[in-house]
Amino acid sequence: MSALLKIDNLEVAVGATPVLNGITLSANRGEVHAIMGPNGSGKSTLAHVLAGRPGYTVSAGTVTYEGRDLLALSAEERAREGVFLGFQYPVEIPGVNNVYLLKAAYNAQRRHRGLPEVDAFEFLGLVREKMKFMRMDESFLGRAVNEGFSGGEKKRNEILQMLILEPTLAILDETDSGLDIDALKVVAHGVNSLRSPQRATLLVTHYQRMLEYIVPDFVHVLVNGRIVKSGDRSLALELERRGYGWVTEEAA
Amino acid sequence: MTSTLANRIADEYARVAQALPESVVSAARREHAIKVLLAEGLPIARDENWRYANLRALERVQFAPSEGAGELVSAAALPAPIAGYIRHTYVDGVFAPALSGTRPAPAPLATVARAPRSDERFALLNDAFASDVAAIRVALGEAHNGNVEVLFIASAAGTRAASYPRLEVSVGAGARLNLIERHLSVGCDASFVNSAVLIELARGASLTHFRVQQLAARATWIDTLDATVDADGSYQQHLVQLGALAARSTYRVRLAGARAAVRLHALASADQHQTQDAYALTEHAAPHTVSEQLFRGIAAGRARVAYNGAVSVCPGAAGTDSRQSLRGLLAGPDAEIDVRPQLQINTDDVRCAHGATAGKLDDAMLFYLLSRGIDPDIAQQLLKWAFLADVAAKIDVPELRKSIERALAGRLDVAADLQELL
Repeated sequence: MSALLKIDNLEVAVGATPVLNGITLSANRGEVHAIMGPNGSGKSTLAHVLAGRPGYTVSAGTVTYEGRDLLALSAEERAREGVFLGFQYPVEIPGVNNVYLLKAAYNAQRRHRGLPEVDAFEFLGLVREKMKFMRMDESFLGRAVNEGFSGGEKKRNEILQMLILEPTLAILDETDSGLDIDALKVVAHGVNSLRSPQRATLLVTHYQRMLEYIVPDFVHVLVNGRIVKSGDRSLALELERRGYGWVTEEAA
Repeated sequence: MTSTLANRIADEYARVAQALPESVVSAARREHAIKVLLAEGLPIARDENWRYANLRALERVQFAPSEGAGELVSAAALPAPIAGYIRHTYVDGVFAPALSGTRPAPAPLATVARAPRSDERFALLNDAFASDVAAIRVALGEAHNGNVEVLFIASAAGTRAASYPRLEVSVGAGARLNLIERHLSVGCDASFVNSAVLIELARGASLTHFRVQQLAARATWIDTLDATVDADGSYQQHLVQLGALAARSTYRVRLAGARAAVRLHALASADQHQTQDAYALTEHAAPHTVSEQLFRGIAAGRARVAYNGAVSVCPGAAGTDSRQSLRGLLAGPDAEIDVRPQLQINTDDVRCAHGATAGKLDDAMLFYLLSRGIDPDIAQQLLKWAFLADVAAKIDVPELRKSIERALAGRLDVAADLQELL
């Protein structure tokens, strides 16, 4: 079986500064991979490069997604092909209605797959169902994208989008940051509900906390733009106990 | 050059003075206006607050007002009526009974003989040549006067293309008025419209004023507004600038009594060779007064959009609260945006929050949309749309808001599937 996502020796720079220094990682369908590491280790860069954010220079390596060259696709093509980035800092867009964005995104994906678009009525039914699941207030429907949302509401909104778009590869960038324990449970519940043999998830996180609720199959530790250690869930627990110092030293 | 222009204005005035109605502006006041213009001239591009205005039409326009052609404009050419609003239509500055509800008594305000400040000299031109006046007075208990729409239609083109819309509004103590003021063109392209608006709000009076400028593509609009708000009065204005080749609005709002408040929400969208320029001065002249200026402008093509938001806090105005958010968006490599806050604060006890930015579309917003699979063209349109629609959404007359949103969508070339947002 070929991997859903295959990152091979990926090197990325921002301007002249190298940030990722040879990442190699494979994720199969059905797997959840946690990517952990201290601040500045390159975790978020990896998430953004996979989603196609401009401003990064890939200087070496390849990324293959469903057997295709992922880096050759634009950000919007990646999204339509089933790649989803959950933002660490979801962007506020005053004046753009939340539901409108969701529907436009949903229909863009359906068009891309040759499926008929859904109308507003049908779509609203879908959103209401998922909102209930995410325990979001009805008033959310009339609001602008993330505008005036609390940190927790923004993260719930990211997961709501994910539940509607049903990505094949979900990349969640520090989705746990800024969440209280109740919100974290709701978010984790949302992520777990999408776990299936068809999909893979990359969880980028600094802390082990979220992994109590979303149990990963693999844990990778990123230091200075390299994966210095991989293991199973017990590695995350060890990091929680001992901090990042020892892996950094082992890597040096 | 200026004196040549002023001399020409004086000559034209002398030729038509006999025919100008005394009941609108007295002959003495008209002559005084001409005298001041001869002494001081009109503003020119070298003047500090006029750097971005396009005043080129002044060189060739004939100032004498065009003869009213109201009978040539049919009701079908006007925008749909707005439910609950009495409409008064002025064609080339003159009341058009066939296109209007019952006319308000044309009684000019008694207190108008104020000397305009330097930036308000175009109001003198209106003083000199005004052919008619839309005078609206509301006193407490006159609920039937509470919603008024004034349409100023420019219909004259060619050599006699000047018109002088004149609007005088007085809201009595504790009374409230919703006023829609629209400047539109019907059947003409290049006209010269010089409007003057005078507003007086008595104690506890409240005015919500919607101003929409959608003149034709070669028109020039030069506009002067002077408002005074007494204690506990509240003036809310929504300005929408879409039309004309050259548009300039000059505002002066005085918060003259304690706790008086003004909110100016303005949006402008310009493309091709349009210039849309506004200078808005808020004077805090009494304690605990509140002002807010919100501006969003987009310039595309070779257009220029400028907004100069001036706030002056007088020594006695303790407890002033002033907020300003001015943002311009460049939608093309040859477009120009100039947003400028000007603050003059002469007391310590103030709260001011001011921000002014001019830039391109926000990269983070753009990437967020792309990361959800939205097409780049659509994402750009959506963000431009959102930039303006955020202000348009504050217009709480649904028919008016929809018509403005439609005009904005057309202007920004918003794709059909975005229009369902409207």
